[in-house]
Amino acid sequence: MPDPSKILKAGANRRKIKDHIVAYSFTAPNFIGFGVFTLIPLAFAFILAFYSWNGSPNQEMQFIAFDNFVKLMGDAKFWRALWNTVLYTLGTVPLTMAAALGLAILLNQKVRGRNFFRSVAFFPYVASLVAVAAVWNYLFSPTVGPINNLLHSITGLPFKPPAGGGMSLPRWAADPNPYVVMFTVVFFSVWKNMGYYMVIYLAGLQGISQDLYEAADIDGASKWQKFWKITLPQLSPTTFFVLMILVINSFKVYDIFINIFAGADNQLTDNSRVLVYQIYNTAFRDLKFGYSSAMAMVLFVIVLGITLIQFQGEKKFTA
Amino acid sequence: MKAKKLISLALGALMCVGAFTACGDSAAPTATPPAAATTEPASNATEPPAATVEPTPDAPEPVQLSWAVWDYDTTPYYKALTDAYSAIHPEVTFNPVDLGSQDYQNMLTTQLSGGADLDVITVKDIPGYANLVNQGFLEPLAGYISSAGIDPAAYGGTLEQITVDGEVYAIPFRSDHWVIFYNKALFDAAGVPYPTNDMTIAQYDELAAQVTSGDGESKVYGEHFHTWRSTRQLWAVLDGQNTIVQGAYEFMKPTYERILKLMDDGVAMDYATVKTTGLHYSAAFYNQQAAMLNMGSWFIPTQIDKVATGESLATEWGIVKYPHPEGVAAGTTLGTITSAGVNPASSKREAALDFVKFISGAEGALVLAGLGQFPAVKTDEVADTIASIDGFPTDDNSKEALKTTKVYLEMPLDKNSAAIETVLNEADDAIMTGSITVDEGIEQMNTGVQEILAQ
Repeated sequence: MPDPSKILKAGANRRKIKDHIVAYSFTAPNFIGFGVFTLIPLAFAFILAFYSWNGSPNQEMQFIAFDNFVKLMGDAKFWRALWNTVLYTLGTVPLTMAAALGLAILLNQKVRGRNFFRSVAFFPYVASLVAVAAVWNYLFSPTVGPINNLLHSITGLPFKPPAGGGMSLPRWAADPNPYVVMFTVVFFSVWKNMGYYMVIYLAGLQGISQDLYEAADIDGASKWQKFWKITLPQLSPTTFFVLMILVINSFKVYDIFINIFAGADNQLTDNSRVLVYQIYNTAFRDLKFGYSSAMAMVLFVIVLGITLIQFQGEKKFTA
Repeated sequence: MKAKKLISLALGALMCVGAFTACGDSAAPTATPPAAATTEPASNATEPPAATVEPTPDAPEPVQLSWAVWDYDTTPYYKALTDAYSAIHPEVTFNPVDLGSQDYQNMLTTQLSGGADLDVITVKDIPGYANLVNQGFLEPLAGYISSAGIDPAAYGGTLEQITVDGEVYAIPFRSDHWVIFYNKALFDAAGVPYPTNDMTIAQYDELAAQVTSGDGESKVYGEHFHTWRSTRQLWAVLDGQNTIVQGAYEFMKPTYERILKLMDDGVAMDYATVKTTGLHYSAAFYNQQAAMLNMGSWFIPTQIDKVATGESLATEWGIVKYPHPEGVAAGTTLGTITSAGVNPASSKREAALDFVKFISGAEGALVLAGLGQFPAVKTDEVADTIASIDGFPTDDNSKEALKTTKVYLEMPLDKNSAAIETVLNEADDAIMTGSITVDEGIEQMNTGVQEILAQ
């Protein structure tokens, strides 16, 4: 007579295995996609960073140890691209966060046409980048654009720098000053993306218990005090999430720069070159896949570092 | 716990392996017919299935060639060439693989690296050619050219210009040269004589200044520079003293100063405006914003077509030869070639080579000329065919402008052409936006290109 408890146990094990198979079959499509399109290429890029290779299966990969990284140290174009990326991040992250939070607080109030204004704020995010970049480029065109023509009629400043020097209207994306160029693209990026982060902040705001505000009202707290003492601390997990995503996305930026700055030849200059563009260009135009992978590794380490710091910070602040 | 982990790992691995083997199975050839086939009624067996018609012993085997191209739908000559070839060789059919024009080179490289089934490769430009040769993606053709009796002299020197260490990897089939397009109505309105086939650059600029008029919306610019670097830098190499890949660019200073002055004086549209508004050169000409346009002969068929459809308002137009520096013969200009090669990995090498020979030869040349395109093989018949196209300007000067004296390639062949082009493009944009001075731009080009040449 078989032991009934053993039979039960065996049955439970079989059910467990069956459950596992079902669970893995659900995750498999995602995992296979991740493996094939992310994990394997990432591992390959890491290996490639120590090789010299022109991307052709007809050429053998040549192991050159750390040569790519040593060369990177003295590469002015790489440093300029990194500097531009950092500058863009420093400009775009705080401004996008402030604009998104401001919009979220405004549109969390019971105002007339709230849903309409929420849609208006969200629209730039869903609009095609190519289309809105073309519109922005036209609006901010130095001589024929409406913005400069309006500024010209108000200030009377000339469109082009006078021959003997002196003040003139900014030439935005085509300005000689790198900071004006960066301001133009940061301005565009904030406008384009703030709607998305506004939605995240709105969700965060709606998760704050009204009891806290009622208690503060009883204690006679001002609106400003409620914002600093309740809203902002309660939003800190959301703020960390937004900060993390924004910083990572800013370091990975490529599309906005190409659409705003690149002309017919699809190239960026010193004032607008960013890290991902430099990685792409080095690989696919200059055919230096190993060197390009070394740059990608630097980007990877930067993004990884920022993520780790933020995770630590998040634990501390939300504890 | 350990067992659980092991099971999960094993299952994960199994699924990955399963996914790959599943693909493998579907791709595996099915050599034996399925068992079900044997149960077919006998009456069906007597009807020969359409797919199993045996070729007669002397009929050639059907071949399908995959041809890497860009903008297939908007470029009529691909289909015209394949149709003409298939008319002579009915056994050959084509599978055009459109890789788009914007990112053609990268798409092509990626496809070839992945072992894509491409037989014939269109080579878009010289930097692209240099990269394909460096990567071993083009079949060497020197042996074939001599064995197939192809005459290198027919290509007006372009075949020599793409020869690398005595070997050539593609044969030009299109060869365009730069001319000046002009709008006769704007010249008539300004009371200025038309440009001629023998103008120095200074005379050309003088004429442009005279025809410049208006303000705001009605502004007419005497000449126009598209955003391409070539519309500026190449003026400097017309005297034949310097090349674009030599690594020392002081010779470009007068050209940049000349163009910046034209833009400052309002004779040509400001570079930043052209760039930020994304103004295409064709639109500047169609909308009568530019009285003269320096552009390649590839624009001729497009302009003819757009006049016919009413999109181009520049209905009265003509072409003249490119202006030349003082002391240089009229008809000296710049050229760009489009060539075709064969993928070394192609299993249909013979057919692919024969097709390349056809499109780059005299027969292909006539097909191209019939569509207003400039073939690499230039004969009197080709020039007459283009000039006789309905819509081509009827004046003698325009017909004469089709002939050239000396053509310099826009980008001479160098194994580093692509990398050099990147440096030149960046410096050019920075100079034109005023981010750096002309001297600083020249210094940037010198340093950047010398670094590449030293590698």
